[in-house]
Amino acid sequence: MARTSNKNIQAKLVLLGDMGTGKTSLVLRFVKGQFFDFQESTIGAAFFTQVLSLNEATIKFDIWDTAGQERYHSLAPMYYRGAAAAVVVYDITSMESFVRARKWVQELQRQGNPNLIMFLAANKADLEEKRKVAIEDGEQYAKENGLFFLETSAKTAQNVNELFYEIAKKLVKASPSRPTGMKLHGRQQETRRGLLCCSG
Amino acid sequence: MLSSDSGEDPMPNPGSNPIPIEDQFSCIVMSDNCEASATRNGSLGNHVGGEIEGAEDKRREWGRTNSVVEVEEGTPSPSSSGYAGERGSSGSDEDEIQELTIDGYVDADGGPPDSQATWLPGKRHVDEDDASISWRKRKKHFFMLSHSGKPIYSRYGDEHKLAGFSATLQAIISFVEGDRVKLVRAGKHQVVFLVKGPIYLVCISCTEEPYESLRSQLELIYGQMLLILTKSVNRCFERNPKFDMTPLLGGTDIVFSSLIHSFNWNPATFLHAYTCLPLAYATRQAAGAILQDVADSGVLFAILMCKHKVVSLVGAQKASLHPDDMLLLANFVMSSESFKTSESFSPICLPRYNPMAFLYAYVHYLDVETYLMLLTTSSDAFYHLKDCRIRIEMVLLKSNVLSEAQRSMLDGGMRVEDLPNDSVPRSGYVSPHMSHSRLPTDSPERFRESYGGTGGPAGLWHFIYRSIYLDQYVSSEFSSPINSSRQQKRLYRAYQNLYSSMHDKGIGPHRTQFRRDENYVLLCWVTPDFEFYAAFDPLADKALAIKTCNRVTEWVKYVENEIFLQGATPFSW
Repeated sequence: MARTSNKNIQAKLVLLGDMGTGKTSLVLRFVKGQFFDFQESTIGAAFFTQVLSLNEATIKFDIWDTAGQERYHSLAPMYYRGAAAAVVVYDITSMESFVRARKWVQELQRQGNPNLIMFLAANKADLEEKRKVAIEDGEQYAKENGLFFLETSAKTAQNVNELFYEIAKKLVKASPSRPTGMKLHGRQQETRRGLLCCSG
Repeated sequence: MLSSDSGEDPMPNPGSNPIPIEDQFSCIVMSDNCEASATRNGSLGNHVGGEIEGAEDKRREWGRTNSVVEVEEGTPSPSSSGYAGERGSSGSDEDEIQELTIDGYVDADGGPPDSQATWLPGKRHVDEDDASISWRKRKKHFFMLSHSGKPIYSRYGDEHKLAGFSATLQAIISFVEGDRVKLVRAGKHQVVFLVKGPIYLVCISCTEEPYESLRSQLELIYGQMLLILTKSVNRCFERNPKFDMTPLLGGTDIVFSSLIHSFNWNPATFLHAYTCLPLAYATRQAAGAILQDVADSGVLFAILMCKHKVVSLVGAQKASLHPDDMLLLANFVMSSESFKTSESFSPICLPRYNPMAFLYAYVHYLDVETYLMLLTTSSDAFYHLKDCRIRIEMVLLKSNVLSEAQRSMLDGGMRVEDLPNDSVPRSGYVSPHMSHSRLPTDSPERFRESYGGTGGPAGLWHFIYRSIYLDQYVSSEFSSPINSSRQQKRLYRAYQNLYSSMHDKGIGPHRTQFRRDENYVLLCWVTPDFEFYAAFDPLADKALAIKTCNRVTEWVKYVENEIFLQGATPFSW
């Protein structure tokens, strides 16, 4: 959960998705501004931190970049437990990864907390010519399940910072303006229902 | 050829104070090799498949086993498995074979131990399958398959394309009742089998390594798989015998290929011991103290390593770490680029500690080569371990452990050229590179010119000393004339042969062994305290070589506080 102190918010963020969808690449683009054409598979989960400053608050992200391999699936709760935000990633050139992404969303809905801010990231948007998953399909699914949707490319940096800024903004909105310890559940849920689409 | 003295004196009584090796060599028992190898074969029992005439006899000449034939000649040997029995379909053989000879040397057979950067990690030749000539010409194949014949891992080629070949291997294994087939010889090739419940491991090799070595390599590959998945993977096969395991191992090709590569350069793979980074005693103590501190706070094992060398390691009470587990863990961490990018928290299993359960490993690189691993049984411990790491890192920086470790990596370990002249070191004498901590930090004489001479005194080229109580070994740096990776690999293969003949239950155990062939004089000496392996110039004088071995072991004892981690096992004091 997001912890607020004055205008500092510390938030746990988890990335989930099939192997090879570009979770690590998205994080490395965001945290270090790097991109590698051949990014090696993540083992278990890698931990990163990054601070984002908005006008309203400073958000410190604890980012869990999980491994997409099947053998780690059963261990995923270890990483998403207590997360304030989740990014489910699929690869627009792989229908299989989109199917897997929907499974992740179901699992998060089943086991995660109801206030979780969820984004669906359709990654590798630079590979338009190899596209297998139509943008409308991603949007449609996101809309139906109360997720925010973005098409991203870690390679070209398209929408990568935007993704994390949008998450940060939602987190600020979701957390109380002063550290009173009160939680405004109603409003949070309302926010969650909204659909954001920056991809058009 | 082999040179051996037949002993007249009775074997000296092995005591805790080893008798000088000269005395032991008055009764050298390197029994005739035909006998040695015959016993080994006899103990294998269950042969299936044909023994090809003549091949056996060749193998029994000791000289040959040491000189691994590096370039394979054209003809694949006959065998029923289909492995090398039929010619592939591709044409223009000549060009392809030509290319392969180079290829096979450069990458298929591994790079040099001291320039591992030139060895490209990861699986090569994925485009091959059992119909490719190039695939058939690989000298050493490793396979993992399920008991229903489904491929799990292959060193070369795409597993899925090897389904037919896998099924053949499975058929061979199940043909012999009770999964007891262990070895098939076919011409120059040995096919070694290891059955682990529903998982079968197979090595097909024409490297002339002894059966025991290949088998223990299969054991390590199986252990590496357990480290990634635990033994609970067996349950998948209970539920579904046709279970396809390859997706579970997704992305781990590199872990296995790096392990297989290390069979060529890392003596830990056959000595079943680990090695330490040479460090001043006080420096290692400082590292150990802070690791002990975190171990007391609920960490099961805290391990600080520089590449494959241990800086320090500490276990919680009663927890002891098997050297093979350390080898597999270090290989797993070093071969996965992912750990270098950020701090990680990953489930791993230590097969010798508990093959059924995952532990959780916090892994963080403190600098390019030095990494810290904190193992725990609790899946929630990440933030605690992160705090531990911050504390450890602070202490290590303050006490200069990290900079000392980096310097030691640059300086390297013991060198045969530095062997002290007296048999008993003068008081206060420590070889220059072992005393770096006592020299002014920037004194240039610490850095020695590489490969100046031709080995050490009496033609000593290289040695390995394994302390039995400590489960640790020290290996000298390679120096001229063992410079190329090829020569280094050949020497390790010779040591492996020596090791397995010394440990052969059929004819052993031996105390001493002296061998001369066209490549080396090899000398091995086993006492209750240590095992010692040395390689000399093939023309080295025997008496002098034996004397030199005594001096080396004394030298090792003299610097043991700097090259070994003391007090790491319950047996040490």
